[in-house]
Amino acid sequence: MDELIRVEHLTKVYERGEVLALNDISFTVKRGEFLVLIGLSGSGKSTLLRCINRLIEPTAGRILFDGIDVTRASARQLRQLRRRMAMIFQQFNLVRRSSVLTNVLSGRLGYVNPGASAIHKFPKEDLESAFANLERVGIPEQAYKRADELSGGQQQRVGIARALMQKPDLLMADEPVSALDPATSHSVMQYLEQMNREDGVTVIASLHFLSLARRYGTRILALKDGGIVFEGLPSEIDREKFKEIYGEEAEEVEVR
Amino acid sequence: MKRPKKSKSASYYTLTDRLAVLRPRILAFALDWVSWGFIAYGVMYLLNKYWYIRHVNFYGRLTLPGWGWPAVIVATFELAMLSHAFTQSIGLNLFGLRLFGPGYAPVPLRQRLARFVAMHVGLVLQPLALFTDRPLGALVHDTEKTGRMVQIAKVKDELPAEKPRKWYATYRGLFLAGLLGLTFWLGWKITAINLQMLVERIGKSGHIWEDLFTPRFTYLTEPVIPGRTFSIVHYMLETIFMAFFATVSGAIVAFPLSFLGARNIMGFNAFGWTVYSVMRTLFNALRSIESILMAVLFAVWVGFGNPFAGALALFLHTIAALSKLYSEQVEAVDPGPLEAIATTGARRWQVVVYGVIPQIIPSYLAFTLYRWDINIRMATIIALVGGGGIGTLLFYFKNEVGRLDDAWNQVGAVIVALVIVVWALDYISARVREKIG
Repeated sequence: MDELIRVEHLTKVYERGEVLALNDISFTVKRGEFLVLIGLSGSGKSTLLRCINRLIEPTAGRILFDGIDVTRASARQLRQLRRRMAMIFQQFNLVRRSSVLTNVLSGRLGYVNPGASAIHKFPKEDLESAFANLERVGIPEQAYKRADELSGGQQQRVGIARALMQKPDLLMADEPVSALDPATSHSVMQYLEQMNREDGVTVIASLHFLSLARRYGTRILALKDGGIVFEGLPSEIDREKFKEIYGEEAEEVEVR
Repeated sequence: MKRPKKSKSASYYTLTDRLAVLRPRILAFALDWVSWGFIAYGVMYLLNKYWYIRHVNFYGRLTLPGWGWPAVIVATFELAMLSHAFTQSIGLNLFGLRLFGPGYAPVPLRQRLARFVAMHVGLVLQPLALFTDRPLGALVHDTEKTGRMVQIAKVKDELPAEKPRKWYATYRGLFLAGLLGLTFWLGWKITAINLQMLVERIGKSGHIWEDLFTPRFTYLTEPVIPGRTFSIVHYMLETIFMAFFATVSGAIVAFPLSFLGARNIMGFNAFGWTVYSVMRTLFNALRSIESILMAVLFAVWVGFGNPFAGALALFLHTIAALSKLYSEQVEAVDPGPLEAIATTGARRWQVVVYGVIPQIIPSYLAFTLYRWDINIRMATIIALVGGGGIGTLLFYFKNEVGRLDDAWNQVGAVIVALVIVVWALDYISARVREKIG
């Protein structure tokens, strides 16, 4: 099957029916794609990503992941589905007081023997792959440091290593570089690109800067007020489309 | 983000929505009424104190005629409505409400008067607003929509900010200041504060101070009555270990309980809510019984003067107090890492082990040490009800005052020992907490 995710009529309503975050959204994501979500703050990007792994419960509609209905999955099925969908976050979401190694190893929690994990005991091959993944993101020497001793860029790389531990089919990145400076942003984005190209992981990333979206995305989905306003190739976004997505007053800012 | 579309035929507002609009308005009025009621109570009390020549009954209490209490109720109700219609009362202010004209225009005095008159009927009819979408006493938020209505509504964020006035230039500032003054005056009278007596009778306790400051350490290591009581050092150790046992075992029990009392761990389903509510109620109920009251029970149970009684009482109270403090810490953890760990496919308890526990350990330790301080202090006086520890000697000597010449000097010795130990342990725990911080 070529299609990894199919979203059908997804709707999310917040706050006792007062705010409509996602309004009847439908789209598909093919295997091996690098899909970029763009749109203003509050346009529903984060909600959409969190609905896919059900960190947020959708109000209506359904989401098929590899043919399995995520929205109807039982707690047990959901855990098994979540192992295949890794996620990295804007604020990195590392456990700040734990070591980098523990943070990376926590990516295996869905797989390992739960009893052993309770006393922080992981199989030897997991430890080896944790070091291998830290090596891959270029911070092997930081393994025993506390996570909050690292710089922002390094913390996001720990987040990527944690995602790699899951050996995921899908990587969701919720504004992965918004808290980073431009130079670091590119290095983080390149790791995502590498995962996408070399490991064949499908990536859905929400990004603030259109220049980053153009540079890394194979396809772009633009959200506005909870609805899709644009879907297509990065090259198809011209001035007019840009104004439509971001509003009349917006000016494009370049990140190099 | 926009509002979801709803069909025209169906009611735009559900009952919950209507209640949400009505609730602050009712609470605001209730608060104003209660505050005027408090003033009425205060006035009655003070009248009773200063104006007792007439209208007092056999017990010296102010009597009211049959219509007195209804009159007070009606008068406070009227006053509450007056302050509601003519001023920004404390009730309105607390719930972010204000009296608006159409389009958020200020309301002229004449209309405020009309509002006050209309309130006599409106307040009674207010519950009807739950069953209709019509602006009955203005249920709908948007004053733009309700046209000519003058109504109480939430202060909107979009309104231009007004220059804040000094507290003494606003009704609510003066009202609150008046309430505070009245409360202080009442408190002074109710607690029978009498500075004159304090000065006049200063000599009564003079010799006690002298004796206390010349402590006699006769029984520092010698038992007071061989075979029946022990020395100061012995009781001091008993106190320290009593507090230590209560703190450590209380913390061990409270640790798992704290997760059951944390909303973010228990989830939002029916089962989670039930466990959460039961645990929180239990903590609060147990916490509201001071350990000295529990010790009364345990002293009868395991024997008067037995340190086990004190330890048990402190232990129970520690569980309740620490569980509450701990679970508040659990609720305050950064939810981000928990989200991240849940996305890896981890089980709920794995999220707790890897995401929650590392975050809360420092504050757990700090709270435990803080509780240890409290327990030490409590253990020194728990003997008052037979809980054992250093207090046994303290109250023994205090009760010997008529029979023993140097009783107060002995009490002084116990107090000196107590101060030194409490101070030293406080100092240590403060240093440790600093390190954790």
